Amino acid sequence: MTKKWLFGTAALTVASAALAGCSSSDSDGGGSKTLRIAMSSPGEELISVWEDIGKQFESAHEGIKVEFNYQDDDTYQTVGLPNLLSGKNAPDLYFEWAGARLETRIADGYAADITDKLASSGLKDMFSEGSFNGMTFDGKTYMIPTAGDVTNVIFYNKKMFEDNGLQPPTTWDEFLAVSEKLKAAGITPIVAGNKDLWTVGNWAGHLISRVVGEQAYSDALELKIPFNSEDFVKAYGYLQELWDKGYINDSVNALADNEADMMFLNEQAAMHPIGSWLVSTALEETPDLELGYFNLPEIPGGKGDQQSVIGVLNGMVVNKNSELIDEAVAFMKLYSSADNSKKLQAAGAVPITKDGIDESSMSPLAFSLNELLQNATMVVSPPDTGYSIEVANALNTASSEVIGGAKTPEEALAQLDSTIAPLKK
Amino acid sequence: MSRKSNPSAYLFVAPSVLLFAFTILLPIVLTFVFSFYDWNGIGSMTFAGLDNYTRAFEDRIYLQSYGHIFGYIGATIVLEVLVGLVLAGLVTSGHKGSALFRLAFFTPVMLPMIVVSFLWKFVYNSDFGMLNSMLRSIGLGNWAHVWLGDPKTALIAICFVSGWVYAGFYMTIFYSGITRISKEVFESAYLDGANEFQIFTRIKVPMIRALVDTGILLCVLTGFQSFDLFYVMTNGGPYNSTEIVPTYLVKVVFSHMSVGYGSALAVLLTIVISILGVLGRLLQRKDSALEY
Repeated sequence: MTKKWLFGTAALTVASAALAGCSSSDSDGGGSKTLRIAMSSPGEELISVWEDIGKQFESAHEGIKVEFNYQDDDTYQTVGLPNLLSGKNAPDLYFEWAGARLETRIADGYAADITDKLASSGLKDMFSEGSFNGMTFDGKTYMIPTAGDVTNVIFYNKKMFEDNGLQPPTTWDEFLAVSEKLKAAGITPIVAGNKDLWTVGNWAGHLISRVVGEQAYSDALELKIPFNSEDFVKAYGYLQELWDKGYINDSVNALADNEADMMFLNEQAAMHPIGSWLVSTALEETPDLELGYFNLPEIPGGKGDQQSVIGVLNGMVVNKNSELIDEAVAFMKLYSSADNSKKLQAAGAVPITKDGIDESSMSPLAFSLNELLQNATMVVSPPDTGYSIEVANALNTASSEVIGGAKTPEEALAQLDSTIAPLKK
Repeated sequence: MSRKSNPSAYLFVAPSVLLFAFTILLPIVLTFVFSFYDWNGIGSMTFAGLDNYTRAFEDRIYLQSYGHIFGYIGATIVLEVLVGLVLAGLVTSGHKGSALFRLAFFTPVMLPMIVVSFLWKFVYNSDFGMLNSMLRSIGLGNWAHVWLGDPKTALIAICFVSGWVYAGFYMTIFYSGITRISKEVFESAYLDGANEFQIFTRIKVPMIRALVDTGILLCVLTGFQSFDLFYVMTNGGPYNSTEIVPTYLVKVVFSHMSVGYGSALAVLLTIVISILGVLGRLLQRKDSALEY
């Protein structure tokens, strides 16, 4: 039966691809051209801003029609975008994540080198230098940034810290000392919800990169070097310590990410390692909670940049095969203007342009997290957005085993290497 | 006009044959073809020969997932068929209020599985779940456990939920079978001095034997279909200890985007189910030769 629906899905994909091919009714009558823009659906409020910008663009550029294609998030991330790109009416401008995903698009010939156009149009100066992290390969820039997410920092409950006379830790030893005090006070120090493996996976990825160095972290995920080595064992040792000392909730691998968010926001734990999106959830659900955050504490003797930030920027890519490359860049310039940034912010987005952002109306935490990402001396890519998802899942499984006390670092890493062995070709 | 060469006959069957071909036949053939390729579903396909199959036989998680599914089936045969049988025996023993129990046991069957999954996920939640709260309130706090986060208890916890739902379903089937046994049989048994237990084991169960066999076969085959319960409650975790073939297939195909490898796993699953189906039929044929 399982097979049946699997086949069904395959059949559906085939059928929809065929249908999409058939419905290519080019209505380019009257010499007008269409600028096609594809993205995963940003939600109704933001869609209305996008369409408004589309209208502004149409009125300024005669003979060009702007057409949007919004897809469901999951679809877009997996089969949606590749289908669009290889289809007949491929988008001229499309949403993508910086890092390994963008690199794939470049390799497949779907991303235009816009280095010169960014400079000549003045678009480059509308962002700070750090906003282009992960968008430049071999000195060429391929993306116009729109937003960014820090995928892991450690949020903490300010009141609990104050009540126990604690300061946000900056080194791992301080972090352990803080945890110990909280535990002694009868508070769960750290809560994480790792049922789907990416939450602790992100955190562990950051920790590993700090200990083994960014290059080794990235090499291992790209299968260039094995995982089971002294440095990785050492990195996992830090995670193991958290479990052994009882600093993390014992339900770490049973809770989903949103359940852990709720526990933290309901003040059932003092610290919560998760990404910047927690800020908007917190503002909605528990606006009175005093929330603070600190980046992963420094690891003594670590080989990586101890101030590194784990995160991912995203933005819009111009299709290399597009006939409207200049127009696409012009559209993004309009999108990034101070006026439109204001509108986007009002609709709930967190734009990263230099101008047009009203700091006072923005949550200070969200603003500070944006700054953290842009001023980072080193941005580490999360395992699951920067690298092959299969390797990332294997790594995240190993991380969950270590933080859940199910396996020692050595065992988990040995098993990880054997899991990914068939992927090395 | 000879019946053989009537072309309009083909036209009449064409719609349903085409529908069948495109929705069932073609996907089956395609899956088989895909299983020999290294393909991510979008890009170019490279022929990989039997690589996908050899990889499957070395895939720890895939092989373990069969162990989990057989464990689950074994447990559900006890928790669903056997418990259903006992419940059917109890509700047909003529005590007062048995209709109420019949309804109560059947109620979970009417809930959509996805709802049941979320409901029980909440019950098992270790921090604010009903089960642990209950244990703590009656002074058994040290029995409280991270039910779905411990590889030792996660699979059992899921099996129990499955039993909670389907025991009522099998009870209903067996109940209808028992009520069809003619009254004279029971009356003569009572006259001979048989008690309820003897009537259950010597009369009720043997006389609905065929239904019990069907129940077990159904249990085995639907075991391979189960997905929602596992997907919602643990999604294969913790540490792949509740990974079953369907949840793993979804990960391989839709998360890892390995359509070729996933197809090979699906083909292997089909072979396993076919073998089980044939075995089941052979066993049944032997049994049905017995007469009561």
